[in-house]
Amino acid sequence: MKTLKSNLKLIAAALPVALLSTGALAADETIAVFTKNQTNPYFQTVRVGAEAAAKSMGAKVVHYIPTKPDSIPEQLSQIEDVIVKKPSAIVFVPVDYKAMVPGVEQINDAKIPVVNVTDRSAGGKFLAFVGADDYSLGLETGRYLLKEMGGKGNVVILEGVKGSLTNIDRVRGFTDAIKENKDVKLLASQPANYQRLQGLQVMENLMQSHTQIDGVLAANDAMAIGAIEALDGANRKAKVIGINGTKEAVDAIKAGKLLASGDYNGFVQGCIGTMVAIRALRNEAIVTEVVLKPTVVNASNYQPYDVPLDARACPSWADAAAMATKTPTKTN
Amino acid sequence: MSLAGDISAGTPRIHLSKDMQQLIYRLLAAGLLCVALSVATDAFFTTNNILNVLRQASLLFFLASGLTLVILTGGLDLSVGANIGLSACLAATVIKATGSPALGTLTGLATGCAIGVCNGLMVAKLRIPSFIATYGMLWVLHGLTYYYMAGETIHGFPPGFRQIGSGYFLGIPIPVYLMIGFLIAGTVFAQRTVWGQQIYAIGANPVAARLTGIPVDRRLILVYAFSGAMAGVASIVFLARLNSAEGDIGEAMTLPAIAAVLIGGASLFGGVGSVFGTFVGALILTLVLNGMNLLAVNSSWQPLVTGVIVIFAVWLDMIGRKRS
Repeated sequence: MKTLKSNLKLIAAALPVALLSTGALAADETIAVFTKNQTNPYFQTVRVGAEAAAKSMGAKVVHYIPTKPDSIPEQLSQIEDVIVKKPSAIVFVPVDYKAMVPGVEQINDAKIPVVNVTDRSAGGKFLAFVGADDYSLGLETGRYLLKEMGGKGNVVILEGVKGSLTNIDRVRGFTDAIKENKDVKLLASQPANYQRLQGLQVMENLMQSHTQIDGVLAANDAMAIGAIEALDGANRKAKVIGINGTKEAVDAIKAGKLLASGDYNGFVQGCIGTMVAIRALRNEAIVTEVVLKPTVVNASNYQPYDVPLDARACPSWADAAAMATKTPTKTN
Repeated sequence: MSLAGDISAGTPRIHLSKDMQQLIYRLLAAGLLCVALSVATDAFFTTNNILNVLRQASLLFFLASGLTLVILTGGLDLSVGANIGLSACLAATVIKATGSPALGTLTGLATGCAIGVCNGLMVAKLRIPSFIATYGMLWVLHGLTYYYMAGETIHGFPPGFRQIGSGYFLGIPIPVYLMIGFLIAGTVFAQRTVWGQQIYAIGANPVAARLTGIPVDRRLILVYAFSGAMAGVASIVFLARLNSAEGDIGEAMTLPAIAAVLIGGASLFGGVGSVFGTFVGALILTLVLNGMNLLAVNSSWQPLVTGVIVIFAVWLDMIGRKRS
């Protein structure tokens, strides 16, 4: 549990209006950070990353988070809000990669520079895109599980929310990893909507019809840990992987319950997205695309993840630039 | 059928004969589902899977059973899901801080109940429509919970406490005993006690209820308190079963809980419904998910299948009601 300190930080985050209207800060660079919800720990890592980067570069961060998780109308009205308040730049995670395009176009019309983070928007103009590739994340994490299973056995997939971009690509990565191993049999691929309770219940149901399940590929950590509870409850053993590299997943890896978690690296995404925005404001060199390589967090490499979020440091700009997959094309 | 001959429409009193007929129709949908699934897959009709389905239905039932009383009065409690979230997170904090599952359980139940009393006061004393009062409460609770948890999870509880959710007694899961206990208590309370009958009467005709001297306000506060307390019970079983608390755990449960009550034959206008009906409603919703998982129905089709079965179950029930 985070204590008062991080809660206070959230209060500050919840009061964008108050901060923005404070005259004394008017001269500073203010970065408006848009994320999808307050409930998914992943977006908390993005926000803390953005704050760490801004702090080290002497800029201010203001958060915009829909109170109803992933609400399209709410994020649209927050965009209208932010256009009136005119922050120096925006770091933007669309709640929906298609539905938010008109919102992005409004930001473009208002001439506020904007960096796209996590989910690649289907349209609009951005300084840069910073994200991870869900497909290779699913593929690499899946490959790790199948290698640990000795390339044979029965597996099930727990899918996230049908139709969400992250889910489509992660599940495609999982199934492609399974196809590479002809002795691995996919028994079922069922939705549990990224929910812990559904992860547990769907796994309980699948165990009824399949007496031998050797591996579970879950599209996020909450479902993976729900599945582990189901296995424990039935006194059955299977190797389980999740995705997101959350604190809880790291604890489960340490305890030997979870095999691995594909890291989506929200913290670094928040860092680099914010660094690009601030550097652009200062007319310093930027990169236009960073797609982070997947890291499979497991029992041998979890240590860097086992520190509190606020204690983590952003990568240096040199390291960040080295991760770039695209840089601006020279026009001279 | 002559059994129901003496019933006039809109009578708030409960006649077992009519009830029995309706129950048979209500069970018919659940029964048909069971028969179809037994034919479709060998994995369905096994002791293990039946216990599995009952245990899964229990969480939804806890939530929906308290809600049934609210709906009987013609009200609605939209805050039950958010209530689970806050109650579970506070209970988890107390268990972690004090190491005492008893104190934690008490915290969860008290939080749930207190939220219910607030809802009741808003509806009974301030005369705020229940939909709005509890919708507002939903946001207040989400706000408090998200702020308090800040995207974190609390996990890892003592094994003794976890028995409530994942333990067995004589081969039957503990939550199933709890469900049967609340099913009997709820049915007796609603059908056999004066207070229970007054709750039906308030839903059937609030003005008449007031005129006949029923303390309407106090009964209203009572049903919202029950609804909140049952959300508290659900939060404790949830914690014990999932071994983990996060801010949004109840979010996806409000609508299914309301659906379970209505599939169980209750009317949103009040005065009609039963705790047993709600049990059947929760069972049908759980059976649908269980069946789809056992048959490995493609994820693209699952929402559609769920919708069709829910509509079909209620349609069967309507035929039953017309007949009786």
